Amino acid sequence: MTIAGLLLATATTSYSQNQPYEPSRLPGGRPDLNGIWQALSEANFDLEAHTARPAMSLRAGPYGSLPTPKVLYLGAVGAVPGGLGVVAGGAIPYRPEALAIRAENQANWIDRDPEIKCYLPGVPRATYMPHPLQILQSESAFFIAYEYAGGVRNVYLEKPSAPTIQSWMGESVGHWEGDTFVVEVTGFNDLSWFDRSGNFHSDGLRVVERYTRNAPNVITYSATIEDDQTFTRPWTITMPLYRRLDRDTLLEFKCVEFVEELMFGQWRKNPLER
Amino acid sequence: MSSRWTHALAVSGMVLLTGPPVHVDAQGSARQVGAGVPRMPDGHPDLQGTYDLNTLTPVVRPAGMPAVLTPEAAARLEAAVTESLSESEQALDANRSAPPAGGDGSPGAAGNVGGYNTFWLDPARTYMMVNGEIRTSLIVDPPAGRVPPMTAEGAARFAAQRNAASPDQPPVDDPGLGDPDSYNDPEQRPLGERCILGFGSTSGPPALPNYFYNNLHQIVQTPGHILILSEMVHDVRIVRMKAEHLPAHMKFWMGDSVGHWEGDTLVVDTTNFNDKTRFRGSGEGLHVVERFTRVDANNLLYQFTVEDPATWVSSWSGEYVWPRTDDPIYEYACHENNYALEGVLRGARFRESEDAKQ
Amino acid sequence: MKQLCKSLALLIATGAVATPAVAHHSFGGEFDANRPVLLRGKVTRVQWVNPHVWIHIAVTKDDGTTEEWMVEGGSPNTLTRLGLTAESVKVGTELVVDGYQARDPTLLRANGRNITYPDGRQLMLGSSKTNQER
Repeated sequence: MTIAGLLLATATTSYSQNQPYEPSRLPGGRPDLNGIWQALSEANFDLEAHTARPAMSLRAGPYGSLPTPKVLYLGAVGAVPGGLGVVAGGAIPYRPEALAIRAENQANWIDRDPEIKCYLPGVPRATYMPHPLQILQSESAFFIAYEYAGGVRNVYLEKPSAPTIQSWMGESVGHWEGDTFVVEVTGFNDLSWFDRSGNFHSDGLRVVERYTRNAPNVITYSATIEDDQTFTRPWTITMPLYRRLDRDTLLEFKCVEFVEELMFGQWRKNPLER
Repeated sequence: MSSRWTHALAVSGMVLLTGPPVHVDAQGSARQVGAGVPRMPDGHPDLQGTYDLNTLTPVVRPAGMPAVLTPEAAARLEAAVTESLSESEQALDANRSAPPAGGDGSPGAAGNVGGYNTFWLDPARTYMMVNGEIRTSLIVDPPAGRVPPMTAEGAARFAAQRNAASPDQPPVDDPGLGDPDSYNDPEQRPLGERCILGFGSTSGPPALPNYFYNNLHQIVQTPGHILILSEMVHDVRIVRMKAEHLPAHMKFWMGDSVGHWEGDTLVVDTTNFNDKTRFRGSGEGLHVVERFTRVDANNLLYQFTVEDPATWVSSWSGEYVWPRTDDPIYEYACHENNYALEGVLRGARFRESEDAKQ
Repeated sequence: MKQLCKSLALLIATGAVATPAVAHHSFGGEFDANRPVLLRGKVTRVQWVNPHVWIHIAVTKDDGTTEEWMVEGGSPNTLTRLGLTAESVKVGTELVVDGYQARDPTLLRANGRNITYPDGRQLMLGSSKTNQER
């Protein structure tokens, strides 16, 4: 059984052999998910199980793949660590034509990955970026702030009556099922990716997240992806989110400034060498 | 102009279009709010909700205006604004031609090219009222309603950042262009144009109306952290309650905010600004104190004090009302489709290549 | 007189408009006052995005060829709150735009100084239902 499958199976069951974990609760009775959390998985590199790779942007070398010139000088810093995968069942069930697009995405990663340009990461990718997130939960509100690019999600507790428009982070509507907070997300554009391995979606994407705090400093997180333009069936990822015991605050990661040279440097009056 | 105001006054009678009254004591701090204000489980007032900061009242008092408008004067001005906006929405000539070559003379933001239609804007139609007074500025101290003078250091820093034209710059006969040397690098462009922060200090601190659109803010409140979301550019400030500031060398675009309660007023103290935010010319020493008091079910009184001894000769303070709104905040993803910044820089490079040919 | 200019002039008179720090001649830096345009064409795409909506129109020139122009508008969020969406400007809708071309004329972009229907009525005004009938 994959790690993802194991986590999925135990997500809502016992924390220990004899008694279920009883989370601390808000005065209204709901489990308290407040805090600064972060995923520790390799999901942002590649949702599927994979061994380590030299780089995210590869070319053919005399004895196998090598980093392309644009990432070469990062050396081991630019390498991809291995991961056991977070997808239940192992492989993402792409339609054949969509699988071909993923291959193109991988081959053209350096030009296509929206993370490189500091674009908003979408859902669920925002959850497992290598940056913390903060949940602020009151009796009347549920808000998730992401350190990466200052992404934000206000989770509505009642579905808004106005039509849903397209956005990078979607429109989130949440409700409780027992001690699990379930968030349905719709209204995506088709521009975000799921990871650095070219996994992508259409604007028909619908995501259903589940947040369950089943240990003092752990939330088990799962996200079910539905997008029949891209995949043959829904599929689910699962991973723990760990409380950042060393942080009481997010820090700014306003990467828009950091990518100005990349995206606009060619238009300087005196461009730097590229 | 005066005949139109008279007409508007006659039509509207003495109807006051100003916002709801907000009362605050002279000190404006540590006051107990009325019974209509809901409370959190921890006993503090519930500040949560979505607010629309827009107002006709400017930050700085216009020359020649009193600090407080009479209801009649406010009604006249508000009616004139409403009428002007109605006129701006009239149908145009179906057979109009292109606008004039050389520009249409439009000033300010419209940049001599006429900007865009007013239907994109969300202009305010009323002045805001505090203590029963219809205010003509957000700034209340100095009493003249203006930002204090800059120190010599502040003025010099501000001038150096303003990109004086270089001596070999050919004369530019294009009033919409502004300083032709301010297009050399993206770092010279306004933070709103770069999509780093929203324009008009909309996130702040201090959070100010931008007088155009998207003035919505949302507050989410927990015992340990209070979040303030500004629609542009989806910026959040998360205030750590009863915490110490981060070390002084840690500097941020929106500073580092810590908060505590004084009675029913949330007091937020922000330091640790970087030297790029430059709020009205400020430097790294900027220090902002904000006070949030929910005065009734539908209104938040927002007060702020700004100081930077290296920039202004004294601190300055302002206040205005944040009315609740049922409108939702929508995503303002700015950088993701920022064609304008590209167009501005490419346009400058084309202009230079044309100048070089002459 | 330009609608935006007129309203801004009044707002300046009442003191409501912020200092020039609000927008440093962004329009004047992006578009060229010496390149006025009048565009008539059909909508091919609407990008309902920030910081500016972009309406793409296919303009047929005198020689019969077609050019794809992008017309810059404002932020969509205010209009979305009024119930309008990208679909409020249907593909195929005939529009008339007067404005100025981008300073880099290799870009077929113009500011939407005035965006109207052929009869002169301004876009986006009236109910969203009315707009959908166009």
